[in-house]
This record gives sequence, C-alpha cells and structure tokens, in this order.
Amino acid sequence: MTPPVLETKGLSKSFVSGTERVDVFSGLDISLAPGQSLSLVGRSGSGKSTLLNIVCGLESADCGTVSILGQRFDTGDAESPRARERRWASLRRQRIGVVFQDANLMPALSLADNVRLRARLAGRSTTDSQDWLQRLGIGELANRYPDQVSGGQRQRAAMAMVFAMQPDLILADEPTGSLDRHTADEVADTLFALQADAGVTLVLATHDTELAGRCESILDMAHRNDPGPGG
Amino acid sequence: MNAAAALFSHYRRHPLQLVALALMILISTMLWSGMNHLTDQARSSLGRAEQSLSEGSQVIREDGAPVTVADFARLRRAGLCVMPWLEVPDPDGVGRLIGIDPLAAACFASGAMSGEQPALDGEPFIDMARAARLAGSPGDEAPPLVLLAADSVSADGLPTGYALASFARGPDTGELGASFLLNLDALGVLVLLITALLLRAVYQLSIVQRRDSFALLHRFGVPGKRINGLLMIEVLVLAGVCVLPGVWAGAQLARALGEGFGRSLEGLFDVTLYADGSQWWRSILVMMIVVLIACLPVRTLPHWLKRSRGVGWLGLGLLAIGMVWVAWSPGLVWTFVAVGLVFVGAGVLVPRLMAGIMATLSSRVDDPLGRWRYRELGVMARQLALPVVALQFTLALVLAVQTLVTTFEATFEQWLDQRLAAHWYVQVPEGRSGDRAADWLAQKLEPGTAAWHRIRRGTVMVDSGAGPSHRVDLLAVSPIGPLMEKWTLQSSLAHPWKLLADNQGVLINEQLALRYGVGVGDSLVLTLNGRVQSRTVLGVYADYGRPSGEVLVNGADLPADFQPEFESFSISPGGRGEAWLVSGFERIWQVPEIEIRENSDIRAMATRVFRQTFVLTRAMTFLTLTLAGTALLIMGWVFITSRAWYLQLLVTWGLSRREAFGELVRVSLGLTTTVSLLALPLGVWLTWVLVHRINPQAFGWSLPMAVYPGFWLELLALSTVIGLGIAALMGRQLRPGRMVALPANQSGGGER
Amino acid sequence: MIARILMIVLMLAMAGCSDSGDDTGFAGLAESVTSPSGNGGFLQPGPDIGISLPEDFGPHPRYRVEWWYLTANLVTPSGAPLGVQWTQFRQGFRPRDPAAAPEPGAWSLDAAWMAHAAVSWQGRHWFAERLARADTGAAGARADPLDVWLDDWQLKALSGKTWQLNVRSHKPAAAFRYDLTLTLRGEPVLHGQNGFSAKSASGEGSMYFSLVDIDIRGTVTIGDDTIPVTGQGWFDREWSSQFLKSGQQGWDWFALHLDSGDKLMAFRLRGSEQPFVSGTWIPKEGNPQALGNQDLSLAIVDSRDGYPVRWRIRVPSRNLDLQVAAPPGRYVNPGRFPYWESPVQVEGSRTGVGYMELTGY
Repeated sequence: MTPPVLETKGLSKSFVSGTERVDVFSGLDISLAPGQSLSLVGRSGSGKSTLLNIVCGLESADCGTVSILGQRFDTGDAESPRARERRWASLRRQRIGVVFQDANLMPALSLADNVRLRARLAGRSTTDSQDWLQRLGIGELANRYPDQVSGGQRQRAAMAMVFAMQPDLILADEPTGSLDRHTADEVADTLFALQADAGVTLVLATHDTELAGRCESILDMAHRNDPGPGG
Repeated sequence: MNAAAALFSHYRRHPLQLVALALMILISTMLWSGMNHLTDQARSSLGRAEQSLSEGSQVIREDGAPVTVADFARLRRAGLCVMPWLEVPDPDGVGRLIGIDPLAAACFASGAMSGEQPALDGEPFIDMARAARLAGSPGDEAPPLVLLAADSVSADGLPTGYALASFARGPDTGELGASFLLNLDALGVLVLLITALLLRAVYQLSIVQRRDSFALLHRFGVPGKRINGLLMIEVLVLAGVCVLPGVWAGAQLARALGEGFGRSLEGLFDVTLYADGSQWWRSILVMMIVVLIACLPVRTLPHWLKRSRGVGWLGLGLLAIGMVWVAWSPGLVWTFVAVGLVFVGAGVLVPRLMAGIMATLSSRVDDPLGRWRYRELGVMARQLALPVVALQFTLALVLAVQTLVTTFEATFEQWLDQRLAAHWYVQVPEGRSGDRAADWLAQKLEPGTAAWHRIRRGTVMVDSGAGPSHRVDLLAVSPIGPLMEKWTLQSSLAHPWKLLADNQGVLINEQLALRYGVGVGDSLVLTLNGRVQSRTVLGVYADYGRPSGEVLVNGADLPADFQPEFESFSISPGGRGEAWLVSGFERIWQVPEIEIRENSDIRAMATRVFRQTFVLTRAMTFLTLTLAGTALLIMGWVFITSRAWYLQLLVTWGLSRREAFGELVRVSLGLTTTVSLLALPLGVWLTWVLVHRINPQAFGWSLPMAVYPGFWLELLALSTVIGLGIAALMGRQLRPGRMVALPANQSGGGER
Repeated sequence: MIARILMIVLMLAMAGCSDSGDDTGFAGLAESVTSPSGNGGFLQPGPDIGISLPEDFGPHPRYRVEWWYLTANLVTPSGAPLGVQWTQFRQGFRPRDPAAAPEPGAWSLDAAWMAHAAVSWQGRHWFAERLARADTGAAGARADPLDVWLDDWQLKALSGKTWQLNVRSHKPAAAFRYDLTLTLRGEPVLHGQNGFSAKSASGEGSMYFSLVDIDIRGTVTIGDDTIPVTGQGWFDREWSSQFLKSGQQGWDWFALHLDSGDKLMAFRLRGSEQPFVSGTWIPKEGNPQALGNQDLSLAIVDSRDGYPVRWRIRVPSRNLDLQVAAPPGRYVNPGRFPYWESPVQVEGSRTGVGYMELTGY
C-alpha cells in the first residue's frame, strides 16, 4: 500500500504572547493521498502559513507527527536536530515544491537560470527548463530577470521551477495573493491543470474562497472541522 | 500615541541599537576630532616654524658652544636687540611651550608696529623664568637657549665671536611642511569618509528595520514629509548629544597620542609641536554636518554612481592621467594631486570592475548555484560600492605604509650595522679629553686584529658657494680605519676612505647634499673655530631618520683648540677583553667608574627609538583599517539583511542550513578577497610613489623599493576575517525556527 | 610678525608682572593710585634708617621701587639751552636679601629694570625707553665704584668725583645719543628728615638724597648732528616701597639751580585731600634746610595741553618768589607710563634754570 503523501497526527502549535499561551492549532490530523488537493482557509494569523512551514520542515511543531511519503517526523523522537534537518532538507530538495506569494525567484538570476537552479538542486535534468517556461506561457521571457517581468509572469516562473523539480507535494502559500483577479485566475488554472496532469498532491493556503473551492477538500483553520476526503 | 512616539518606540524596543548608534557617533567624533586636534597643532607649529624661518634670525657663538645667559647679557650690553627663546615640553599637555622674556622683547616692537595684530591667547608663550624651571638644569638633556635677533641686528654689528644664523633649527620646511600638512589632511579626509560610511551603515540598518513602521505610519495617514522631518530631528538630537562628549574624548585622545606624534614631527622634520588651543567648535560643526550628511539622504546617495556607463570611462581616464602625472610630476603638491586622481579613478572603477568580473565568471559557469554565487557577488560589489572602495583604499594605504616603514627599518638596521661596526663603545667623561686615550689605544692595539676610532661631534659652518652659510653637524673620526670602510656610500670618488685618511677632503650626508645641492667633487668652505678651510666632497653617505646636514671629517684635520660637544670611542679590541679596556680608561681619565657599552645594546636602543617614531603612523593606519573593516562589516550586514529572504529561499529549496551558511561564507569571503586582491596593485603602486616620488621630496632622503609578499598574505588573512565576520553575523538569520518575513521593498523582484 | 606677536605678549606679561595687585605701575608712574598695597614683605623707609654712602648709591632689593635720576641743563656753543634727562628705575616684585642674587640662568623675575632717556632742544623732545629683567647681567646697578646700566646705557664712575653717562637710542623716530662727563662738586644733600622724605602727612615716604652741583660737558647727537654741550646737572637717588599713598594721583617736582648758586628742590603730591608739599632749600654755602607745608607754596599759574607749565613757587622765609616756566613745546615722555619732564626757566625774585616733572595728568 502506498503511504499517504502527507500525513499529520495530533499536530499542535502555540506561541507565547505576553504571559498567555495562544494555541495556533492543536490535535491536527491530516492525511493526503497522491494527487489529492487540500486548501487551508481562515483569517490572517489562523496558522495557515505556520502549518505549511511545519509540513516542509522550516518550522517545528510543539507536538505531533508529520509523515511525508512515509518518512516520519515525530516531535517525541530522540533524533538529533541535525539528522532531522538533513532529512527535511533532502525532502524539500527533491519531493516538496514550495510556492510563496511572491519573491520565489533569485533576483540575480534569469528566469531560465532560476528554473535550472531549482531543477539541479532536485537532481533533475536542467535541459528541459526552457520547456517548462514554454508550458507556462513565458518561454520568450527565459532570459529576463525577475525585476524585468510582471508579477503574474514571476508566479508562472515560480510554478515552472516547482514543476521542473517534479515533486510529490506542492505547498502553495497564497500563490495568487499579489495578483489581479484576471491574472490570478490564469495562474490558478495553470496550477490546477499541471497538478492534475502530474498527479501531484497540493496543499494551498488562501484567503480566496473561490480558489479554495477548486481543491478537493477545505480545512478552515479558524473554525476547524476535520476534513474528510471529498469533504 | 502620536507619530513621533510611534517612530521612536523602535529604540525602546531595541535600546542596544540606539546605544550602538550613539557610540558610533561618539567614537568617530573622537577619532576624527582627536586627529584634527593634532593636525591643527601641527599646522600652527609648522606655520610658526616657517614664519620664524622667513623673518627670524638668531645669534650664535662662532666657537660652536651653545649660547648662555652670559652671552645674552653681553650682546644686550653691546646695544643689540636680542631676546631669549627657550622651548620646553609642556608638562601638562601635548607639545611644547616657548619661554620668552617680555622685557627683552620690548625692543623688537619698535621697528614693526604696523599692520593688524593677530589674536593670541598667551599659549604657547610663557615667561622665561618658568621655562627655565621646566628646562631643568643645563646638561645634555636640557633644551638649548636661542637668542633671537631683531631685524636691527646685523652681522657686522656683532661682537667678535658671534655670528648671525637663520632662526630655524632644522631644514627649510617650506615644501616639507606643506607636504606633511597634505599628508595629514589626506589622512583626515580618509578618516572622515570612513566615519561617514560607518554612521551611514549603522543608521541605514536601523532604517531598514523600521521600514515596516514607516509604512504603517504612512498608512495611518502620517505624511512622508512629516516622517522624514521627525527622523531629521532624531538625527540632530542624537548628533548633538554624542558629538560634544566625542570632541572632549578626541582632545583626550590627542593628548594620549601627542607625545608620539610630536616625536615623529620632530624626528622627521625637526619641527616642534607647540601646545596650542584647538578650535573645538570647528570639530563640533564638521561632525554635525558629517552626521547629517551620512544619515539623512538614506535612499539617494549612491544611485548616480551605480548605473551610468560614462562614469566608468571617467574613472579609467582619471586613473590613467593620475598614473602618468605621478611619473612626471614637477613637485610634491602635484604628486599628491595625481595620487588623488588615481584614487578617485580607482574608486569609481573598482566596483564596476568587480561587477564585470563577476558577470564574466558567472556566464562561464555551468552550475546554476555557482552562477548564483557570482551574480550575487556582483550585486554586492555595486550595492556596497562605498565601503568596498573605502576598504580597498585603506588596504592599499596600509600596505604602502607598512612596506615603507619596513623598508625604512631594514635600511636603518643595515645603516646601524655599519655605524656600530665596533664591539665596544665608550663615552669620554665630562671634562676629560680623548687625546691620551687615543694614544694609549694606538699603542696597545694590534692593527691586524683590533680596530678602533675616536669620534668627536660638534657643529661647523658650511658655505657651498651658493647662498649664505649654514650651521651643520660635524662628525670627526680618527683614525680612518676598517670600521668605516663598510659604510655604504651613495656616490663617491675612487678610494674615498683612503683620501679621507690622507686629509684630502670630507664626506657629507645625503641631507646636506640634497639641501644645498652639493655633490661629489664639489668643494665646501668649512669654518671651524675661526679657521676657514676649503675641502673637496669625497663622497655622500646615507643618513636616515633625521633632517640635519652633516659633514664627516678626518679627526686629524681638526684645529687643535676644537672643543667637541661630545666625544666617544668605538673599539673592537681583538684579543683584549672588557676588563682591560675599563681599567685602562679609568686609569687614563682618573675617574672611579667608566661606563663601557656593547654596541649591540645601543643598536637595540636605536631600534626602539626608531619604532616609537613610527608608532603613530602604524597606529593611525591600523585604526583606519579597523574602521574601514567595521564599516564594510556593518554595511555587509545591512546588505545581507535585505537579502536574507533569498538565503532562506535556498533553504526552502532544500539546502540544509549548514549548506546555506556555506554559500553565505563563500559569497562574503569572495567579496572581501576580491577587494583585497584589487587593493594589492594599488598598494604596490602607492608604495612606489611613496618611496620614489614622495619620500625624497618630503623627507630629504631616499629608500630602496621593496616588496613584502608576507604583508599581502597578512592583508588577505585580515580580509578573510572581515568576510567571516559578515558571514557569522548573517548566519544568525539562518538559525532554525527563525523565519524571515519577506521584506516589503523586495516584492518587485529584488535588486540584481 | 614675530615682533607684533611679542608686543602683545609683552603687554600681557607687563600686566601680569606686578604680583602685588597694586595699580601704581612701574615705580609709581601710573596715573592714579586707587588701592593701598600691602608691603608684600618689602621694607618701609623711615626717618631712623639714615643714608650710608657709598652703599646707598647701589640697589636696594629689600625695597619695592627706586631710581637713579639725572637731569642736566646744558647749553650749546651758541648759548642755546638743551635739556637732558636720564633715569633708571628698578621695580621689585619680590623682596630679597641683597646677597642672595639668583643664578643668571634661572631668568628669575624678582625685579625689572626700566630706563628713560630724553633730550629737549629747540622746543622739541626726544625720548627713549628700555626694559630689562633683573639678574641676567643685562641690567643692574653697583654702588662702588658706581655703575648703573641697562643694555648699552650706562652711568659709571671713572674716578671718585668723575662719572660718565653714555646713552644711545637707535629708534628711527628718536635717534639720539649723549656722552657726558660729570664732575661732582659738593656733598650729597639728604632730603627731609635724615634722608627720609615724607610723601604724605600719614608717614609714607622714601629715602632720598641728591647730588645737586655737577659740572657737565660732553656731546649730544641728534640725528646726524653732534653738538658739544656744557652745563650743570642734578642727580637724585630715591628708593621706597610705597611711594604714593592711596588716593594720591601724582606729583609735581622741581629741581632748580639758581644763578646765585643756591638750589631748591620742591614737590607737591596731589590727592583728594590738600596737596602734600615738601622741599629742600640748599644754600650755596651748604647746610641744607628741609621745607614743609608751612614753609613752601606751589601754585599753578598757567596750563598747556592739560599740563601745568607755569608755576609760582614761594619760600617766604627766604624771600623767594619764583616764576618757573617750561619753554614752548610738549615735553611728555611717551613711554608705557607717560609723564612730563622738561627743563624750566626761573624768573622772579631770583633767576636760574632747572627741571620740572609732572606725573599723573
């Protein structure tokens, strides 16, 4: 049986504000099979970005377990921080693609070089980076630098980078948040098309309920109810 | 909460930043105003030296003995308007005080009461009685009395036994002084520049960190102008509070460094550093302006420097013109201007050159990460243009000064070896003559295995045939033997030592040769104890670290009644030991105890004195280097803070934090290493200029050109330390659990 | 340039020289005395001290001020009158034992010397001033044989009764010199009470004696003209520690050679109170007689430029009623402390010549 791409069990995170302890979320259980998509909604501060950071190892949870493709990370394990860090880094490098709202590109590199860099880090061929830009409709901009193209084009390039690494899991944090409606729709269309095409699991954090609705399930971080498949 | 309180609450949350900024202003003010205090003093001292040179003359004794109060009385009673002038160290501070007798000075006023009267606060003049007390008892260490002569005193009107000499105890300071001032000014400007960079760096850091607050205030309807106005008030208050104690601390610094500074001034130019009130308000004003300039236009300064292509060509042009100009420059001032051109050219060119090199390298690399590294370095070179250039200049300066001082040291040691060739050194006791001792040594020591000579020092009037006579030092040696023959001569007739031994002429030092335009084969008229003789110049010898001219004569050529100011023996006694020498001399001179010293001790002492002379030069360059390094460090920190997101992007892309830190180290080391590599040619060139162009013109003696690759390695190591420092500061940003927020100003794609 | 700087320093130093804090200026020559000065360890003169010669021709380092002073009423071969003045002052800043002179090399400032020289001829007046610090050898005084010098100005004894005075001024504005031989006649005259000359009713005063009968011959050179001169001179020795009393503004002093061979010294000290008048009548045959307030009157007859230039001097007991007048001209010595010093012509009940000094105007 194939393990879930992403599985969390009893995941909790809180922060200290003054003398008070504020729960961001607690006892969070998620399980996503390959090709599934989940959207995280909720107001700012409800923990969408924190959850994304935790499931790619950039932040750690207070307690609970995260499993990526069967690799288990438990806060209770006696694993050394360095070894854990190494496992996470390896997953991010090859398995997990992350797209932020903006600034996904190295400003000093051209769009093509950005895609090549990401592909190389993931151990993929760098030769088809041009193809990916082409598929995202910005092939003619390959030699431009990030500050020479529009915000929508930058986000397309960011997606080209993510798909060029052929990941199993894509984490997208407000990927269309800084775009106008029309461009946002175009970018979202491309994202979902490619996701479906490649059979990649997608976790999408967004304010946008319409965009959230395009995922198979929705997790409302503010008024959390456990998501079920197709729920 | 009003806008001001909201804006300044940043410092409530980050009090250390406020303290750092305040300390930075205070320390830079201290450094600059301290140096400025010293240069001011040096400037007025030099001015005084030149003034007295152009207008003053003094009465000296023809027998070469120092003048005393008895001479003063005798001259006054002959109706001559002379006054005493006694320079003594200021016991309470830096520099020297001048003792004068206002009553004797009264006659100076009679002929010259026209013109405006200069403001004078009393310093450095004090009454003779106090000066005499400060001078202590007359002896070797006591400063000499000078009898200043009024214009009405003519050489013809002097009693016999006296002569008129110009009132300048050293060389013509005209060009030397001007060049020294230029040196000081250049160093001062550099320190000011680095100060400004430093302040700018720290202030920019706080601005970067407060950008979100500004945006928030702006969103709440506080106009940008008002925010800028509040920031300006903040800077003014901060500057006002910190500059005053900084100026005070600067005065303390000047006091602490003053002695060494005075010594270099005296050693190199024979110009005395006089105690003088400094214009403290000027320091305050300048520092306030620097703080304002450094802090206010935070976003605008280097833009024009970054992009325009013509500026690069301009830099190249300036560099070329400066280089050619230095090689052909007619005078010292022009040399300095040309050096300035080269520096400006290099400063404009280097950031572009670095960016260009990085662009070329990145295009040749196939590895995308390697390409990223080079591209990132290119961005840094442009973004950090100012501190990069400052660091480069400082490295070049340090390299050149260090090389110069080391060359000087090596040459000086070689020179000492020649001068201290004998094993033992004995000073003839006060009131005794060396005559019998010389006879005894001649009798007892075997010429084959032992060597010795007798040294007598005094002064002699020299007339080169052009212009007036000059009083220079006299060095009489006899017999002329093997201890002398190792001396390096810059130029000479054939067999100069043989000719000297045969009384066929004299040797002169390089200073005398340069100053009075005398060369080998020329003849000099020497007046010694009233005896006038013409002597041929047999050779010119190097004589380092002092400005005075000197004539070397065969001791057998001295008049019988010559009274040396100082007399000694240098002896390598062959098989004989110290005890034999000591008992022999004690018997001859009838003194209970004789001090006989090993020349190696004297050598160690001379080396120590020499090093002290350069303590200040070294301290200044090192200080400047520290400042420049700190400036780059802080600017680098600011820069990388703005790039922290992208470093984190690398981590998101799967580099472990350790790997990402490695990338950071490579980038910052790449920057500082490139800077120091580019500083090397500039430094070597500057060394050449110092040694071959500036030194002979400014100091009166020349040095060989040398290259010390060891220093290059030291500088590279230093720049590595700075690079690692930047990386270490930035590494904090990569600590686990620390997420960098996307900076608000980075959403346009970032600087590339 | 140096000269100008030094000039300022000089003024500063002169201001700081007198550490006793009084305003009497050099040897009491300042315009007014406003504050009493303590004796600062200096001795005070008095009637019991007496004059001892020749010692008292020499300096008195235990006293604050003193001077050697010569005036000469000379004539040129054509018979024109020519006046000469030479004065050397000593101003002590610290009293000390005469035997305890400091080392010359110490440049100590226990005392300062000032010398004034003037020539008055044909309505014109030439003046020069010299300054020196004591104990360097450049200036000083000795009693026996007499030697008083400052730079190249010197009064010295050639023999017991023959002195020589050499003065030369190199100043472009006042280039003059005189070389005079003095032949002393008669005995020293002790003024006041046994040589103590009171200067106020409350007892301030000075030790004061004079040589009043001196034959002078020699030359006076003004510019390039050297003029042979002959005539008679008057030499004063005076020392004190507090010359003027607080509140006294200055003095008017006369030394007159009457054609009868008699001499008269008279002075008046001005202050807020009644002027203090004193003098000495010196008959030709000797036996001088001190004159007090009741014996002597001095009255101003006429003034010029603020200076009283014509006087009426009366000694009723001697039937003297003299008109004393300065010749036309301005005879102010423009030194650091300006004062009037001029020859005078005597008319009235007797005729004669003399010198008049007016200070504090």
